[in-house]
Amino acid sequence: MLTVEEIDAGYKDLQALWGISLAVNEGEIVALVGPNGAGKTTTLRVISGLLKPSAGCVLLRGRSLAKEPAHRIVELGISQVPEGGRIFTGLTVLENLELGAFGSNARKVKDQSLQWVFGIFSRLEERQRQRAGTLSGGERQMLAIGRALMSKPGLLLLDEPSFGLAPLLVEQIFQMITEINRQGVTILLVEQNVRAALELTQRAYVIENGRIVGQGSGEALLSFESVRSAYLGSS
Amino acid sequence: MLGPIAQNLVFGIMVGGLYGLAAVGLSLVFGVTKFLNVAHGELLMLGGYAGFWIFTLWGVDPFLSLPLVVVCLVLIGLVLYKLLFARMVKLTEENKIKNTLLVGFGLSLVFQNMALRLWSADDRGITTAYSGQALTLFGVRFPVVRLASLAIAVVTLLLLDLFLHRTYTGKAIRATVQDWEAATLMGIDIHRVYLLSFVVGAAVAGIAGALVSVGYSIEPAMGLEWTLIALIVMVLGGLGSIVGTFVGGLVLGVTQSLTSYWIGGTYREIVALLIFLVVLVFRPQGLFGSKEG
Amino acid sequence: MTGKRIITLVLIIAVLALLAALPAVVSRDSIINMAVLVLLYVALASSWNILGGYTGQTNLGHAAFFGLGGLTTRLLWLSAGWSLFPSLLAGAGAATTLALIIGTPAFKLKGVYFAIGTLALGQVLNVTVGDMFPMITSLPVQQLVSYQLLPRYYLFVGLAVLTVGTAYVLVNSRLGLGMMAVREEEEAAESLGVSAFRHKLLALVVSAFLAGLTGGAFAFYHVGYYPQFLFSPVWTFDALMMAYIGGTGTIIGPIIGALFFVVAKELLALRLVEIHLTVFGTLFILVVLFLPGGFVQAWASIRRALVRQLGARGVRLASRRQAS
Ligand SMILES: Nc1ncnc2c1ncn2[C@@H]1O[C@H](COP(=O)(O)OP(=O)(O)OP(=O)(O)O)[C@@H](O)[C@H]1O
Ligand SMILES: [Mg+2]
Repeated sequence: MLTVEEIDAGYKDLQALWGISLAVNEGEIVALVGPNGAGKTTTLRVISGLLKPSAGCVLLRGRSLAKEPAHRIVELGISQVPEGGRIFTGLTVLENLELGAFGSNARKVKDQSLQWVFGIFSRLEERQRQRAGTLSGGERQMLAIGRALMSKPGLLLLDEPSFGLAPLLVEQIFQMITEINRQGVTILLVEQNVRAALELTQRAYVIENGRIVGQGSGEALLSFESVRSAYLGSS
Repeated sequence: MLGPIAQNLVFGIMVGGLYGLAAVGLSLVFGVTKFLNVAHGELLMLGGYAGFWIFTLWGVDPFLSLPLVVVCLVLIGLVLYKLLFARMVKLTEENKIKNTLLVGFGLSLVFQNMALRLWSADDRGITTAYSGQALTLFGVRFPVVRLASLAIAVVTLLLLDLFLHRTYTGKAIRATVQDWEAATLMGIDIHRVYLLSFVVGAAVAGIAGALVSVGYSIEPAMGLEWTLIALIVMVLGGLGSIVGTFVGGLVLGVTQSLTSYWIGGTYREIVALLIFLVVLVFRPQGLFGSKEG
Repeated sequence: MTGKRIITLVLIIAVLALLAALPAVVSRDSIINMAVLVLLYVALASSWNILGGYTGQTNLGHAAFFGLGGLTTRLLWLSAGWSLFPSLLAGAGAATTLALIIGTPAFKLKGVYFAIGTLALGQVLNVTVGDMFPMITSLPVQQLVSYQLLPRYYLFVGLAVLTVGTAYVLVNSRLGLGMMAVREEEEAAESLGVSAFRHKLLALVVSAFLAGLTGGAFAFYHVGYYPQFLFSPVWTFDALMMAYIGGTGTIIGPIIGALFFVVAKELLALRLVEIHLTVFGTLFILVVLFLPGGFVQAWASIRRALVRQLGARGVRLASRRQAS
């Protein structure tokens, strides 16, 4: 479904990604793991068009996204939950969700999408009139994910959805991610919480210093020596 | 004793409504795009002359001609955005503010100079058949023209508020104010949001200018003063709230007219500027930077 | 490098000689007056450039310093009967004092807030002076009778040389380096132990002193004007535009800008009725948008392109010669 080929990208005079390639198949959950500053967020930004690569290309179902501006890529079916959620705190929960369905196609089926999202995150339905800034950390993350789902994406990019949440909540969020995937949304998941991520996913890529340094099935990577020592060593 | 004070309060509120209107355009544009268009006062001036000439040449009532003024300013806003401001969208926020400020200065100079050449330095104002009329209530005069201007200012601000809160596009604008990158991830084309805000800002400035030409007077050099007023009100009212901006305008208007009553006419401007400086220094950035809510 | 130095030195001496000899060569007052205007703007734009260009603090209240210098000088010189130079120094001192007073609160404001704040401050003084001194100030009759242009011209020559020289020495010192570090990356500069506040304040004080002196010279030069005129924001905007059009953050930029401004204004005023401000505004906008380094940058890139072209042609010629 998604193919990333030999991407180079960076900020000003700093190159952050070096020849990144990865692929996500229809229906999969794929994880992208790696240490701080490895380039995980940057990779997602390239896929969603917020950052244009200096070399290489991103293909969605064989179609190049090189010329598409970020707001068009959403309409083509890729939705990103940015790092930290970045919900619109001054707007209500409902307004946040409505904005998720901004594209013309998504807007037509807005009400169904809303029911779908409320089905997954019932908490949001209760709080829909509330200002998003008043939500708790877990609820904010749910809102961020729900908002991304409102565009009815084929591919959902999640950037550290568990960051800063209590362990119990992390588990909940991961369950919801599995549920979303079960309902047919392909997922590319960036995580620091490597063990949990690898348990959840069919396949994973390991990124370090802007390069892919390993890939394989989640279980295989769990036993992958360098991953063990680097990310799981302390636990 | 109480009579003159009440009268000055009324005049202050009437002019304050226009201050609010003048500031709301600037504040909307700044909030959404981070363009600090210091030629905002000149847009007011152009709106004023548009109203003035439509009235003088074709005799169209200044209140009825407001839609025409809006059309003029929308066109001017479009051209300015496409020609100049669109080129600064991609800059970092700091450079964006700085460069738009500089370009704004260039523009204000150009507009002012052109207006001076085209229409001379004379003070102009629209005098209609009903210009002299006033309602009197408890000995306080309410000039009908200014009363109508205040009403139009209020209605314009209410409509703008409704637009921002009730329509999809309005919500997209508010989302962009908060976080343009997250807004992009919603599928919002922020360039269109920028363009729209800029044009709406220009249109509102045009209305304000036209109202100034009816109730007060206009001249080519009025821009700087109005830009400063808009900046002051923007700082007083805080960013992102139309009601706050309107209240800020009223506060400034009332403060000014009471100052002129108690201290003297020339100090009305100084008092406004001093308030502004004090607020700036004691709440640096905080006032501009505050997000919605 | 040294070759370049020598050329620069020769050029400077030539310009100074030309300035010194100008009154002997041309006797028309109008030309001398124009030269005075150029020198005035050189001083004003260069003084603005110390804070606005080299330190990166867009000061939109420069007219306040110019005006205060002029007001003080004129009052002391004409009304209090002081002689000229003490009056000029007092004027510059008044401007410097203002700078010291506003420095601390003003530099609490960063970036554009500083710009707006100084704009407001300039307007406060503008309006206040307009209210306090509503009457035109004219030279008294005995001064008018004995009015001589040449001393005034040479005063402006000295002023321009002093201003440009001060700017040159300052920006080539350690302090100047600190100022530029603050402009480029304030936080990084702070972390290297450069106090942003001190460098900004120094730049402001020097800039204000020179602007005050320039205002004083103007007060000595001009026959009659409204005191408020010296506080008009136009002085700020003109200085800023000249610095930008010539090239901010360079020594030569404001000089070129001032020269260009005055000459073009004269030429345009002859042909087109008073639209030079429209032309300048447009030019200024174009510079901000497309040529952030002004004429200086344009010249540098033209020269680079020329050198490259000439170099390429040289290579081609050489290879052709070899081939034949
Ligand atoms: N906006 C930016 N400007 C400049 N450099 C950046 C920017 N964002 C990221 N970088 C740099 O790019 C590199 C990759 O950053 P990225 O955010 O992609 O890492 P990450 O893997 O997501 O890290 P984390 O786990 O901490 O979120 C880092 O060296 C970072 O410092
Ligand atoms: Mg990250």
